[in-house]
Amino acid sequence: MNWRRVKNWLGIGAIVVLSLFAVAPVLSVVVSIYAAGAAAIASLGGLATFLTAEPPDPFATSGGVGPLLAGTLYMTALGAAAGILVGFPIGIYIGEFKRDKLSHVARGAVNMLVEFPTIAMGLFVYGMFSMVRGDVNSVLAPLSRDLSSVLGGWVTWFVGPLDFYNAYIGAAALAIVMIPYVALFTASAYASIDQPLREAAYSLSGREYKAVFTVLRKVVWRAVLASFLLGTAKIAGETAPLFFTALGNHYYAPFTGPTGAVTLWIYEAAQSSYKVQVDSAYGAAAVLLTVVLALFILAKLLGRGR
Amino acid sequence: MAPHPAAMSKIEIRDLWLSFGKVAVLQGVNLSVAERRITALMGPSGSGKSTILRVLNRLIELIPEAVVKGDVYLDGRSIFSMDVVELRRRVQMIFQIPNPIPNLSIFENVALGLKLNKLVRNRSELYSRVKTALERAQLWEEVKDRLSSPAGKLSGGQQQRLCVARALAFEPEVLLADEPTANLDPENTARLEELFLDLKKDVTIILVTHFPGQAARISDYVAFLYKGRIVETGPTKEVFTNPKHELTEKYVTGKLY
Repeated sequence: MNWRRVKNWLGIGAIVVLSLFAVAPVLSVVVSIYAAGAAAIASLGGLATFLTAEPPDPFATSGGVGPLLAGTLYMTALGAAAGILVGFPIGIYIGEFKRDKLSHVARGAVNMLVEFPTIAMGLFVYGMFSMVRGDVNSVLAPLSRDLSSVLGGWVTWFVGPLDFYNAYIGAAALAIVMIPYVALFTASAYASIDQPLREAAYSLSGREYKAVFTVLRKVVWRAVLASFLLGTAKIAGETAPLFFTALGNHYYAPFTGPTGAVTLWIYEAAQSSYKVQVDSAYGAAAVLLTVVLALFILAKLLGRGR
Repeated sequence: MAPHPAAMSKIEIRDLWLSFGKVAVLQGVNLSVAERRITALMGPSGSGKSTILRVLNRLIELIPEAVVKGDVYLDGRSIFSMDVVELRRRVQMIFQIPNPIPNLSIFENVALGLKLNKLVRNRSELYSRVKTALERAQLWEEVKDRLSSPAGKLSGGQQQRLCVARALAFEPEVLLADEPTANLDPENTARLEELFLDLKKDVTIILVTHFPGQAARISDYVAFLYKGRIVETGPTKEVFTNPKHELTEKYVTGKLY
């Protein structure tokens, strides 16, 4: 028996076993959530009902996550848009302009933000908003009146004087969570561009901003888009930033006031003493997991398309 | 600004010094580059050949530690007083490693610079400029039926000719070539050298080469650099057959590398 070959097999075997140990919990969580969630959705009236109905009260026989899903999707979309708009240029700056001293400071700030407790971010946004709420509402109130007189009453669901808790500051807190992820992914993508390609980009474009935002973006767009999707998946599953911002709401209501989110409902319902609400928490988790997995798979497919 | 008195050369480099921090890379370089000729810059590694090219299209400005003193004139006008967009339109560059934009098609690679700089007014003009550039780069016949294919699927030699086409799309006056055949096989090297000989009818070419043989084969003028200084310049035949400087003789005979 060749001892070197035995050691090789033992080493590879150990790596495989340890990898399975790492993957097993993830698979186990996914399987158990889908198993319990599918059963819960079926018991609460089926998928269509579950996706549109309001959360069940303790004595209900059916219910769903309709308003919560709407809140999650709305705040995630807004938060992702803001996170990308801010995070992408920051990422380009720290990835492409490493020669600037300010870019080192920016990178340090972004690295710190990534580790920041997300509940503190929510608290920060709430505190800042409280200080400016009056001024913001003095603009939004007449704007809402004008828009609704032209477009109809439905506008007030989106534009209007903001309560202390509302979907927009929830989205702002999510955006702050997303910014450092997008920035760091983007920086990494730009930094990985070969120097000859970079020089060709500047040679073709003349101006620095065209080289960076147009030519080089075409080189890294897959990686950057994947980072957008992964960042969106991350904030879709966030709970802590929403405690002090969106607060939560069990009903369909204007986004200018307290707004529900799937994650907030899972946190609340999982602790309930009533089976129907615990079941709906599993169902909500399955729905949320589906959204997150879809974004992950899309990001993976984009990466493979290179 | 009045044009420099020595306006007969296409490019005039006057007392060019360049350092990266405390390290001097170019020391008092003076060089005239004749119009519509191939001028080869040759010398051992680290002699500053590629750095000179990057000064000529101001790519050197991407390096914040680079300190440039002296001047460079293009048709009698200082390149440092020129708009960099205009300069890079007139002075294009191809690089040692072929670098087409990988996610773009053959057509889009050549068209990219034209679109970015708004050098065409409509789609048919764009197609015409791209076709002309590919023809001048001797690539049109090989790719005309697959212009929408990814540029990454071309062979190394074809990719380098695509990069030449991309540069030629600007209708530049000067083409800077930084060791363009270093990563090509002998057959593709020969094809690219023939291309340069054809292009020099219209375009001034400055070629950086690590191979004295290449300089001897295709250049009209040659400048030998050593440790950031120009040691000798002149017509290629003269420099190779009757070098005036001992270092030049050692280099062209393969005793210095």
